[in-house]
Amino acid sequence: MVLSLSYLILLPLLGSVLLLVLPDSNIRLIKRVGLSISLITFVYSLLFWICFDNSCTKFQFVEQIPWLSFSNINFYYGIDGISLLFLILTTFLVPSCLLVGWSSISKYQREYFVAFLVLEAFMLAVFCMLDVLLFFVFFESVLIPMFIIIGVWGSRQRKIRAAYQFFLYTLFGSVFMLLAILFIYFQTGTTDVQILYSTEWSTRRQILLFIAFFASFAVKIPMVPVHIWLPEAHVEAPTAGSVILAGILLKLGTYGLLRFSMPMFPEATAYFTPFIYTLSVIAIIYTSLTTLRQIDLKKIIAYSSVAHMNFVTIGMFSLNVQGIEGSILLMLSHGLVSSALFLCVGALYDRHHTRLVKYYGGLCSTMPIFSLIFLFFTLGNMSLPGTSSFVGEFLILVGAFQSNTSIATLAAIGMVLGAAYSIWLYNRVVFGNWKHIHNFTDLNRRELCLIAPFVIGVLWMGIYPEIFLDCMHSSVNNLISMTTK
Amino acid sequence: MFDQDFVAILPEIFLINASIILLMYGVFCRSRFIIRNIAWLGLLSIIVTLLLHVNNVCTTANLFYNNLILDNFTFYCKMFLLLSTASVILMCLDYFKQENVYAFESIILILFSTCSMLLMISAYDLITMYLAIELQSLCFYVIAASQRNSEFSTEAGLKYFLLGAFSSGILLFGCSLLYGFTGVTNYEELAKIMLSFSSSNTPGMLAVAILFIAVGFLFKITAVPFHMWAPDVYEGSPTYVTAFFSIAPKIAILANMLRIFVFSLYDPTWQQLFFFSSAASMIVGALAAMSQNKIKRLLAYSSIGHIGYICIGFCCGTLEGIASLLIALFIYICMTINVFAAILSLRKNTFKYIGDLGGLSRTNPVLAITLAITMFSYAGIPPLAGFCSKFYLFFAALGSGLGLLAFIGVVTSVISCFYYIRFVKIMYFDTAWILFEPMDREKSLILGITLLLILFFFLYPSPLFLITHQMALRLCF
Repeated sequence: MVLSLSYLILLPLLGSVLLLVLPDSNIRLIKRVGLSISLITFVYSLLFWICFDNSCTKFQFVEQIPWLSFSNINFYYGIDGISLLFLILTTFLVPSCLLVGWSSISKYQREYFVAFLVLEAFMLAVFCMLDVLLFFVFFESVLIPMFIIIGVWGSRQRKIRAAYQFFLYTLFGSVFMLLAILFIYFQTGTTDVQILYSTEWSTRRQILLFIAFFASFAVKIPMVPVHIWLPEAHVEAPTAGSVILAGILLKLGTYGLLRFSMPMFPEATAYFTPFIYTLSVIAIIYTSLTTLRQIDLKKIIAYSSVAHMNFVTIGMFSLNVQGIEGSILLMLSHGLVSSALFLCVGALYDRHHTRLVKYYGGLCSTMPIFSLIFLFFTLGNMSLPGTSSFVGEFLILVGAFQSNTSIATLAAIGMVLGAAYSIWLYNRVVFGNWKHIHNFTDLNRRELCLIAPFVIGVLWMGIYPEIFLDCMHSSVNNLISMTTK
Repeated sequence: MFDQDFVAILPEIFLINASIILLMYGVFCRSRFIIRNIAWLGLLSIIVTLLLHVNNVCTTANLFYNNLILDNFTFYCKMFLLLSTASVILMCLDYFKQENVYAFESIILILFSTCSMLLMISAYDLITMYLAIELQSLCFYVIAASQRNSEFSTEAGLKYFLLGAFSSGILLFGCSLLYGFTGVTNYEELAKIMLSFSSSNTPGMLAVAILFIAVGFLFKITAVPFHMWAPDVYEGSPTYVTAFFSIAPKIAILANMLRIFVFSLYDPTWQQLFFFSSAASMIVGALAAMSQNKIKRLLAYSSIGHIGYICIGFCCGTLEGIASLLIALFIYICMTINVFAAILSLRKNTFKYIGDLGGLSRTNPVLAITLAITMFSYAGIPPLAGFCSKFYLFFAALGSGLGLLAFIGVVTSVISCFYYIRFVKIMYFDTAWILFEPMDREKSLILGITLLLILFFFLYPSPLFLITHQMALRLCF
């Protein structure tokens, strides 16, 4: 069997070990090897997409490797239509992260590549794992490399505070999930998701377990009262760290809800739907308004990420095909659009070493190519028809209208506000007069190559989303049948 | 009639003889630098003892009129004890040379106390148990105060002696009450007598006896209401002694506690006591360590916290509880060996504060990443070994209805993360302060092995889980 998920997970892991033993003197070699490993992983993950059977509702490429086999806990992994695209997104984003740090990272270069490859392996494992306990393990293990990435390669002194905040917020949320998982394991004697799907819990227990899971996922998504870590972490992280954070780590929470909370606790899902709707709507409107008064470029994009992720939760909890498919599509599209926006901001930061909006202006005459690309992704961020976000948000609104009209209406306000801050940000940065600009270099070839795939992805998903929707139809239908039984 | 018995305790006999021979060698061979020589020979004798122990023909027996016992449980505990003693000796070899320690007796005392701990693990009678504990404690009092020109060390020795003698007195009073009430001292007889009481009608006197014994033991393992001496002693004693204190006796005393409480005095009285002390240890360990600046004090509080986690397994009293206790103990020991090897390799007289680690990532990146990973593992972040121990402990706690304890454990583990990652912060983000010399080969060997265990334990944990399950089974049935 050539196509095996364990190879996919092991590839970056072994690659990072290989990087560790390469000679110290030859940093170019280390960079090239690291990049090629991540590209090979990407190509390899595409093979899974090609060989994926769209009509099958079961998990595919399933493998089981004993871990504590006498306690019924095993490395049990497989993918379905929902996780497939996240795998691809992960493997797609990591090479870009490595390329971003190609020349801008000056210290600990080897460790930079190692940290990202280890992170990639953990994230791939999260999306494949079909065992709740091991899902938790990898869900949490992302913390260590991410803590180091923010702390070591972050830009300012405040980064330590951000790294702490990121670490402790996430950990504090997650430990309750650990207790819930242990409780489940104690009650059922298994942590295998497919068995747990068919386990019936009493409504009371479902509610408690759902809360415990939600405490963890809500921090990661992030829902409104616990979203403070995100802008901090985003602002202080290096560009590549922000790309991974926005691109993948925010998806872990929503993915977890989709994979575990909803199908395992259907009654609690129904019970908590109004609660989550409310939180999400508050988050959408509140963070969109917050965005208007931010002066830090990265913070603006970070807050807009919060708004988008809360759109996703609204779509998921509408519990119909359009809503859920829209939310998955919006997650993917957000992974592309906001990552690309962070890349753009990173390019600006590399040139001018500031992220404050008031120092920028008139970039359209000094950096025309950049302005064009930034415009494209700004429009993508406000979900202009033709870009990927539009499809996602449209489907979400369609889904939400079917289940709760007033929530959908309120969420639609978020779109208006999104347009407001996106356009305003673009105006302030790109148009107007030159301010304090001494550096006139436009995007170089490496940066263009870096951004081009994102442009292609966004357009492709926006114009022809069929190919992405096709592979998730049956899985989503299966999910809905489990959640509304 | 003792033929078989003497064969069975061959490792202990060998170790005693070896230490006496080494003592004589040290006395007659008057050289200032004899200590490294003796240390190597001591290490050798520990290894030979280990070999003798592993290849012992007699694996399951009751010896000397039921005074000692050998079974699966003692087998693994002793093996682990010998391994950790060997690694402590290995890691302090360089210390002797650098710090100009000439008192070779400390090695002999380490050997003697190891021997007493071997006896303690297999003790099957209150008297044997007490004698073994006293032999071990006496050795410890002396080595705590072994650095006579340091005020800290003498003070630590004095404090340790006073409180240790006090706790032994309490323990002894508990034993005598137990003997006076039941008329037996043997564990097996005690177990039979305890069986005759159902859980509700344990006589008051017996409960008092159990209380005293439990308090005595809690003193020894530095659990919370009786932990006052630990930070001072840990800080004052020479670092290699601190390493030995925080590693070896934990195994022996916990093994003995398991034997006495789970096997012979199985009773709900002590469970509440341990419940309280476990919760308090976790809380104090997490909160008090937060404000520490000295590295050894911080590690002392962290070990108090870890004893709290380990005691969770004790409170359960179930098979999973005991197995999880042993797993947590083994992993804790492994991590502690790693930390102390790292700290011993940062040898500079001035090295005392955590802040002195600043910029270690630039001056010694490999050591920095090792220490960082161990700290993450202490904090219980997956996928490191520390996580495996914590998750199984919490599982056992939930399984026996101790949800509250699991909850406290979870919350305190998040709080304690704060100071564990402070290490990482200081090493990676602060500026360089002290330049340390490169470490010697022995310590890097220990660091490497334990780091590999911490990192990759997650991939294949089933052997340890199986072994501890076997041990727990042997203890309960």
